[in-house]
Amino acid sequence: MTRKHLSPQQPPRWADWILEWFVAPHLLEYVQGDLHEAFYKQVAQVGLVRARRDYVWAVLHCLTPFFARRQKNDVRKAKLNPSHYNAYSKPFFMDMLSNYLTIAFRNLWRHKAFTAINSIGLAVGLATCLLIALFVLHELSYDRYHSHAERLYRMTLHTRLGEKDINYAYSAEPAGPALLRDYLGVEAITRLRDDGDFLVKNGEETFKEGHVAFVDSNFFSIFSIPLIKGHRASVLVDPKTLVLTQTTARKYFGQADPIGKTLSVGNLGVFRVTGVCADIPSNTHFHYDLFGSFPSVNQGVKWLASGAYTYVLLRDGYSIQQVEAQSQGFLRKYMASEIKEFLGIDLPEFLQKGNRLGFGFQPVTTIHLYSDLDDELEANGDIKYVYIFTVIALFILLLACINFMNLSTVGSAGRAKEVGVRKVMGSVKSQLVSQFLTESVLLTLLALLLALGLVFLVLPGFNALAGKQFTLGEIANGWLLSGAVVTCLVIGLLAGSYPAFVLSSFKPITVLNGKSEAGLRSGWLRNALVTGQFTVSIGILIATIVANQQLRFMQDKKVGFDKEQVLVLHDTHVLGSKLNAFKAELARMSSVVKISLAGFLPAGTSKQSQDGILIKDGSKTAAYTTKSYFVDEDYLSTLGMQLAQGRNFSEAFPADNSSVLLNEAAVRAYGFKTPIGQQISITGDGSEASKHTYTVIGVVKDFHFESMRHRIAPLIMFYGGDNSQLALRIRTDNVSRLLTTIEQRWKAETGDPFAYSFLNERFNTLYQSEQRIGQLFGVFAGLAVLISCLGLLGLAAFTTHQRTKEIGVRKVLGASVTGIVKLLLTNYLKLILIAMVIASPIAGYIMNQWLGDFAYRIDISWWIFVLAGGLATTVAILTVSYQAIKAALMNPVKSLRTE
Amino acid sequence: MKKTILGELEELVLLVVAASTDDVYGVPVMEQLQLQTGRSFTISAVHTTLYRLEEKGFLSSSVGGATAERGGRSKRLFVLTAEGGRVLVDIQQMRTRLWQSIPQSKLQLLGL
Repeated sequence: MTRKHLSPQQPPRWADWILEWFVAPHLLEYVQGDLHEAFYKQVAQVGLVRARRDYVWAVLHCLTPFFARRQKNDVRKAKLNPSHYNAYSKPFFMDMLSNYLTIAFRNLWRHKAFTAINSIGLAVGLATCLLIALFVLHELSYDRYHSHAERLYRMTLHTRLGEKDINYAYSAEPAGPALLRDYLGVEAITRLRDDGDFLVKNGEETFKEGHVAFVDSNFFSIFSIPLIKGHRASVLVDPKTLVLTQTTARKYFGQADPIGKTLSVGNLGVFRVTGVCADIPSNTHFHYDLFGSFPSVNQGVKWLASGAYTYVLLRDGYSIQQVEAQSQGFLRKYMASEIKEFLGIDLPEFLQKGNRLGFGFQPVTTIHLYSDLDDELEANGDIKYVYIFTVIALFILLLACINFMNLSTVGSAGRAKEVGVRKVMGSVKSQLVSQFLTESVLLTLLALLLALGLVFLVLPGFNALAGKQFTLGEIANGWLLSGAVVTCLVIGLLAGSYPAFVLSSFKPITVLNGKSEAGLRSGWLRNALVTGQFTVSIGILIATIVANQQLRFMQDKKVGFDKEQVLVLHDTHVLGSKLNAFKAELARMSSVVKISLAGFLPAGTSKQSQDGILIKDGSKTAAYTTKSYFVDEDYLSTLGMQLAQGRNFSEAFPADNSSVLLNEAAVRAYGFKTPIGQQISITGDGSEASKHTYTVIGVVKDFHFESMRHRIAPLIMFYGGDNSQLALRIRTDNVSRLLTTIEQRWKAETGDPFAYSFLNERFNTLYQSEQRIGQLFGVFAGLAVLISCLGLLGLAAFTTHQRTKEIGVRKVLGASVTGIVKLLLTNYLKLILIAMVIASPIAGYIMNQWLGDFAYRIDISWWIFVLAGGLATTVAILTVSYQAIKAALMNPVKSLRTE
Repeated sequence: MKKTILGELEELVLLVVAASTDDVYGVPVMEQLQLQTGRSFTISAVHTTLYRLEEKGFLSSSVGGATAERGGRSKRLFVLTAEGGRVLVDIQQMRTRLWQSIPQSKLQLLGL
């Protein structure tokens, strides 16, 4: 179709190409003619640019099925006048596609087992990847939705007191306002205080609220959490005002309008509801249900003895480094006097001793994945796990792809004859390539459908495992699905490319003589791929075993106290003056062995206040940070802790109010040779007036009060002063009856909700994230082995089939069944052995790095590698031997007849 | 007579073809449509409709002369078939009947 009319004013050539490629020959001439005619008229009327644009627009409008549809007689016409209708030599994709699809369906249907193995393997891989992608994308999305996310920072506090670095997620309460005052680059600050649990009363109903925050009034302007009711400028300005999340508002007030209604919050008094905000999105680093106004709580004015989570919004164009540089100025300006007051030393002397104090700033978007400070608002994620999961997802996808390619190659090998026949009948190479590619793409899309079904089935389980609430909608909505479709197409094209290009280049004469399969049989590539698969499988298996070993180690290790059979009653302070009588009454019950009143328990979310401790040893003074517990005289015996030296608190010693117990870690940290009788000075809020001196009367053997990720920290125990929890050592013969009795007693005394827990359960929550990792690894290991074995199954079936004749000959010549099975197995065993050799050092190295996070950890012993390798080998043998035995048992007469 | 059901565009195109005294092919039909209705039509819509009408037997086509401004490509020229003419008359009559069935009083009420 050469252009005779060549004017400089032409329609865009590429648009013409599209048109010529797309529009059916019997229409093309007239359509294109009309378009051109209209174009030249347009040029005269509205100018070239506009006309060209309209031309493209008109071409795009022609891209509809109507214009693409061929007519039957196109082919006939093409034969009559091939130079005009080149439809025959250039197969038009729509028509051929339907033909390819028909043949592809027939082929896939004919080899059902092969199709099933291949698509199920890929589907499992794809489903896993989809789930992991959901998880990873969610982890990466934390706090990115705030409209100023990139200018939003959290102010953190970093101290070094006597050899120990402590980094807090919060900072001093006056720091935020001071920053706003002193530094031009700061546009706004907002603060958040978490004062723990509150009993919230709505008239007669009382709920325990664990997620209560006190925030500055601009909180909802800085974080993009929509206010559904109330005015952005006026909510939370006054003391004793409250903003509820939608769900909480519904919980307290049902359908009624909550604005102006009141709730009583703990002992803080009655709060008026001034606003309702949307529920906090799951991808945020804090989750609160009630927001009280900041002025509702006593505000700390000291820099060293008050804390709030402070968020800083920078002005556009200012960098956080400038603010950070200034924070040293804060130290001199605001904190020097407090250091003097608190520690009795000047700032220069304080710094000279190697102590440090300063503020840091972290982008809010990095908090969830990168921040691991003391007193985080909630347990954060970890970028390491994001990486690990991404890598595992890629590995599993790789496994599935290798399988898919392997099986596609193998599956198409039997079709060399078909290729020969097709070629003889006049097929050209491009048509054969298209045929094979269509088949493999069809198979991948089938796998994708299966994968979506699988995801639907396992999503609830996955949510439970990953601690998330994903819905299918999230997969369908985002570009996750389009990503999956594109991935599938790529896999399909890649996997199909080998058979497509190799097979289609066969010469029909050699193929039809039956000489073609030699090229496919060599299979070193296949062997390499199988080895690769098993390397990954064995690696993941090793990781699983190590992770579970570590988990069991942490759960079984002696924690230094008896965590079994300890019942904990919460919020006992609401009993007020009746508390002692209540305690005495419980103590009289036959199922209660021992009872202790203390807010401080060695597990999970329990309180452990961290104080600056000052030790005066003669003239020398040193500062330490130490965790402190407030306990009674029954504490040690109730929890089964051991004294290493000295004595326990006792009512018999009235002076015990100024006595303390230390743990062994504290003794070591303070450098006491003879701890009993040592004097320790402690300041409460930093003032001289609150300074107290205590005498050490005993040393408690070290016990684990935190996760074993951390080394046991120095701990100091004070006598009395906390009434928030009762710990009961109980006999476990009839726990439910005991609980009912206690609950009845509780209800009789107070109208507040009755809450309890068991200490060992609380202890297990310490290892929730490790448990999660262990389980996930287990699932992945299972999947990896499953996918590898599916691949192996297909391969084994193929190779044994290929060797049917050989096996028949061997049997006729006297080979035994075991001999033949051995023959078929050895090749695979060799591959697995190589995989073991490659996988062991890599997995060992990676898991050693992981274990490095734990202060108390296992060593990786040799049997773990053997076990992982053994497991993989066993499964592989089971997979292959079915085929092998079947082949070996076959009647040689039959097998020799196969060709 | 199932085939007498015509879409609005089909009817318009059929009328344009019927009314035209010159050669009828894509471009003039499109121009006439734009001129008469004030709406813009793409060449693809016009073509689709022309071919559909031909399939229904209301138009017949032949290959016509090529001109330079078409890059030497020939035209597909359409003419109204007898059946096409009958359909147009049917439609016209049906419309007239419907119009006549509107009571005068109503028309007056509407100010028509």
